[in-house]
Amino acid sequence: MTMLAGIGFTTPWLLLGLLALPILWLLLRAVPPAPVRRVFPAVTLLLGLADDESLSDRTPWWLLLLRMLAVAAAIIGLSGPVLNPAPATTEGSGPLLVVLDASWAGADDWRKTSEQITAKLNEAGRAERTIAMLRLTAPEPLQFQSADVWRKRVAGLSPQPWQPNPDLIAASINHIATVDAGFDTLWFSDGLEYPERDQLTSVLGSRGDVQVFQTAANRLGLLPAQFVDGAIELSIIRSNLGLEQQVIVLAQGVDPGGTMRTLASATVDFAIDDDKASAKLILPSELRARISRFELQRIRSAGAVALTDDSLRRREVALISSQTDNEGLVLLSPVHYLRQALQPTAELFEGGLGDLLPANPDVIILADVARLAQDEEEQLIEWVEKGGMLLRFAGPRLAASDISRNEEHPLMPVRLRSGGRSLGGAMSWGEPKTLAQFQQDTPFFGLTIPQEVTVSSQVVAQPDPSLADRVIAELGDGTPLVTRKALGQGQVVLFHVTANAEWSNLPLSGLFVEMLERLAVSTTAKPPREDELEGTVWTPINVLDGFGRLSEAGTLGGVDGPKLVSAPTGPDLRPGLYDSGSRKLARNVLRVDDQLQSAIWPNDVSVISAAVVPERALGGILISLALVLLALDVAASLAVSGLLHLSRTAALLLGLATTGWLGLPAHHAQAQQSADLLGLSSELALAHVLTGDEQVDTIAFNGLRGLSNTLLFRTSIEPSVPVGVDLERDELAFYPLLYWPITPDQPRPSAEAYSRLNAYLRTGGMIVFDTRDANLVGSGASSANARKLQQLARSLDIPPLEPLPADHVLTRTFYLLQDFPGRHQRGEVWVEAAPADAEQIEGMPFRNLNDGVTPVVIGGNDWGAAWAVDQNGRPLLPVGRGFAGERQRELAHRFGVNLVMHVLTGNYKSDQVHVPALLDRLGQ
Amino acid sequence: MSAPAISQAIELRHRAEIEAGSLPPLLVQAEQLAGSVLLGEHGRRRAGMGDDFWQYRPAQPGDSRNLIDHRRSARGDQQFIREREWQIAQTVHVWVDQGGSMRFASTPDLPLKIDRARKLALAASILMVRGGERVGLTGTTLPPRSGNMQILRMAEALCIEDEADYAPPEHHAMIPHARGLFISDFLGPFEELQLALSKAADRGLRGILLQVLDPSEEGFPFSGRTLFESVSGGLRHETLKASALRDRYLDRLAERRDALENLCRATGWRMGLHHTGDSAQAALLWLYHALERTE
Repeated sequence: MTMLAGIGFTTPWLLLGLLALPILWLLLRAVPPAPVRRVFPAVTLLLGLADDESLSDRTPWWLLLLRMLAVAAAIIGLSGPVLNPAPATTEGSGPLLVVLDASWAGADDWRKTSEQITAKLNEAGRAERTIAMLRLTAPEPLQFQSADVWRKRVAGLSPQPWQPNPDLIAASINHIATVDAGFDTLWFSDGLEYPERDQLTSVLGSRGDVQVFQTAANRLGLLPAQFVDGAIELSIIRSNLGLEQQVIVLAQGVDPGGTMRTLASATVDFAIDDDKASAKLILPSELRARISRFELQRIRSAGAVALTDDSLRRREVALISSQTDNEGLVLLSPVHYLRQALQPTAELFEGGLGDLLPANPDVIILADVARLAQDEEEQLIEWVEKGGMLLRFAGPRLAASDISRNEEHPLMPVRLRSGGRSLGGAMSWGEPKTLAQFQQDTPFFGLTIPQEVTVSSQVVAQPDPSLADRVIAELGDGTPLVTRKALGQGQVVLFHVTANAEWSNLPLSGLFVEMLERLAVSTTAKPPREDELEGTVWTPINVLDGFGRLSEAGTLGGVDGPKLVSAPTGPDLRPGLYDSGSRKLARNVLRVDDQLQSAIWPNDVSVISAAVVPERALGGILISLALVLLALDVAASLAVSGLLHLSRTAALLLGLATTGWLGLPAHHAQAQQSADLLGLSSELALAHVLTGDEQVDTIAFNGLRGLSNTLLFRTSIEPSVPVGVDLERDELAFYPLLYWPITPDQPRPSAEAYSRLNAYLRTGGMIVFDTRDANLVGSGASSANARKLQQLARSLDIPPLEPLPADHVLTRTFYLLQDFPGRHQRGEVWVEAAPADAEQIEGMPFRNLNDGVTPVVIGGNDWGAAWAVDQNGRPLLPVGRGFAGERQRELAHRFGVNLVMHVLTGNYKSDQVHVPALLDRLGQ
Repeated sequence: MSAPAISQAIELRHRAEIEAGSLPPLLVQAEQLAGSVLLGEHGRRRAGMGDDFWQYRPAQPGDSRNLIDHRRSARGDQQFIREREWQIAQTVHVWVDQGGSMRFASTPDLPLKIDRARKLALAASILMVRGGERVGLTGTTLPPRSGNMQILRMAEALCIEDEADYAPPEHHAMIPHARGLFISDFLGPFEELQLALSKAADRGLRGILLQVLDPSEEGFPFSGRTLFESVSGGLRHETLKASALRDRYLDRLAERRDALENLCRATGWRMGLHHTGDSAQAALLWLYHALERTE
């Protein structure tokens, strides 16, 4: 490689091309730019005018310079310039083995490491050496291949979330042994000590030179978080002593909105000589329960992550007992021992079931509660089916009740015999029974049973086919002590003894606490010990990668409980979240008592710890520069020959920029609409439903106009112009009254329209249905319009109806009416039925009827047609004959006035009848 | 005529009416009245048919009795006949160059030369029609007539465009002793114009040449290597350095204008110059004065 001013060239002879530049200059200078075409009618005057020979137009010098630069950049770019070409440290020949620690410790500066690896690969590739790679955390058979092949695979070599362990080292040595030839070694170390490394070093040293690349970085590891004395203790270990250091630990979890965020942070200070430092974080239990992981700020490594499991989360337990009134007898309280057992590890709530269920505790404990109220029971079943755990204790009340006697109660795991049994009492022959050993598949398996635990009374399960599956603990004689059944996603567990010491001394023993732990009623404050997990198998749910990212575990195999706690992480034991039954356990890269040590290398191994400036090929940059210059040249050439219209281009750009404002009309439309709505809300307007039949709609509109005029002339209601509403689109809230003429072929409103109509009815709106058929066939019979009305009204929230009674408030809201003619005379009018208890008060002309406004008025008198007037206020359609007809029209208008008054004033007129009495009373 | 053409014509007439609205009616000075018998509002300073009083003359034998003016005759013994001034309408032939070279504007802000020319021609026609003149186009397309309908017909006829780059002046069917108004850029072949004007002069026509030019044709603001084309692309001229041509082009333009002036002087016509960058009002004012001026 030739070096020029710190830049190396792979093909320096190409630079000779630069000599051609002056020639190119002359050539380009001679060629004039392309002509501009111009329309010019006076060309006739130009014909025959010859150009002056000495005045040929030339390309401007700056354009020439631009082109020269472009060509020069291309030439230099093609000659392969390399910035900071690596000094030839790996000079030599023959195969090269690249060994990587590839552990979590190096994950934080993995990018730098992989750059270095790439640099070394390039170097070795130039020296035409074959290369093999060996990751000590995931050893594979050695393949000596060209540098190009490996360069593509560097990105795929990611660090693993464990350190090389003796097994992996042994496997690596075996792989090395299969290679016969000698080779040099490049070892990218993460800088941490691990067992058996010396052995590998000596094996590699026997094959050729060993060179170690090691960054001098200080490695930090976060130990699993522990819950000590009400605070979370976060400990950090480091590999390099000798400097003061401050590390921030972030507690991350899901916020109430469901997004992952940093919930809290703690600062850990290292003194000069500390290799371990810790900080305490005190958080409210709600917040603590949300934390899913701790991590060191700005360090991407699996070792800098501590996942949390149930151990930080205190479960919420609701204690419910049947006796709450005997305060003096604390030790006899059914829940006293439960309280004592759970207090240190769980949040306890006590109170009534109805109060506690909405808090959605993790566990509900019913101590000797037999019967629940019907609705409470239903809620409880629902809660259990959603994943709750119901723990019941027997007791005198349960034994005395007949719950789950003949049929299994949903909230009981088994059927019970009546009365229970008593063992070893004064009147019995038998001894109090001891517990039998826990079976393999029960949650209590592995717990030690103290000899002094005896049971003197219990409730006894009925033998059922399913009983054997449900027993999870039994007495020495085989009678069930604890039974369990699944209910939905949750479970119901019954202790066949009391929760106090009345029936057995189990609650007095440590076994009781352990059993509660195993049932996940309580949680341990400390991570489980090895022996506590004997016999359990844990399946991974999520696992960490080397960078500390959590991913689905997929089909990874289960891990034995003891190994999960004690063994170092490796390919068989990945750090992550593990699950066994209802318990969750987090396994982190580091264990509580782990330590980090810097790697110490033998003297014959050369260690390079300086960070290497990676070499950088400049060819691509220069060639892109050439392309950019050529693009500029195109623009400049166009500009010189006048073909680039700057103003037009600017206009185009401006146009593009202004397309961003196209969203504006929408805002205008919205503003327009809201202005309309504002207008509607400031004035009263009657509305009719658009049926789609133009004639009917017109008559309805004119009818409402006539009614509006009448209201304006005669009453203090001054409606504005009526509105036709489209049920699908328009907001109904502004209209007190909706006149709905029925046509046989109008479309059925959509579901949304119906929901809005129902909301309209519920919030005090009134719909006047007019079948316009004069009820000729009688109500409920089948005129086409009546059928349509039934069809339309089926989805409406309409109360029971009755024909308008003679004392309905509609008959007297403004005019006193007994008849409600429209264009037709006889049809009945239906309104909301009076409540059954409406009674006529002595001395009152009317019954004390419903207090609200009837939401619907249904009739067939074609009122709209009777009200209809043209623009000049003249009646549009004939009604009846002669004077009788005019009288009928007048009555129709009066009915309209009453309707609008009724909808606007409610039962006000009904109350008015009390006015004389009130005045009378006031007078006294 | 298709609907767009009609609307175009209406639009043109509308614009021309606006232009014409600000000037008093134009009375074309008539020189030669002989041979024309049509009534107009120009006194021909001799007795003849007309509305205006000219003179009383003693009745002579052969005069019709009902020509005797009794009011004048009653003052004395002699009988007088009231003679009226012989009035005649002037005829104006308009020619607007419809060639391709007129459909040019150097920038979008400027009107096309042909638009300006049409507008001026029609505005002048409107003034003349209001003055009672008869206006028409040269050639047989639209013979001169008076009346407002003629304006619309003229507007229609003026909207017909010629495909050729440089249209020669139409010199057929010109009524003797009428007046002419030729509007063009006069950049086409000079011989054609010479022929037309000499033919007109032979027939006793006097008139006005109005040269309408684009500012770029007057200033030649070009530089660099340029390929000049006529509007239809038929004529081309390429130059390596347009700025070097400027002076010689301006010389040629001045030459052409001199030739036009000379031609006008020889035939008794007047020559005017208008740039599309200037106001049309000024040009119309000039036309008004030029047509009004007595020769």
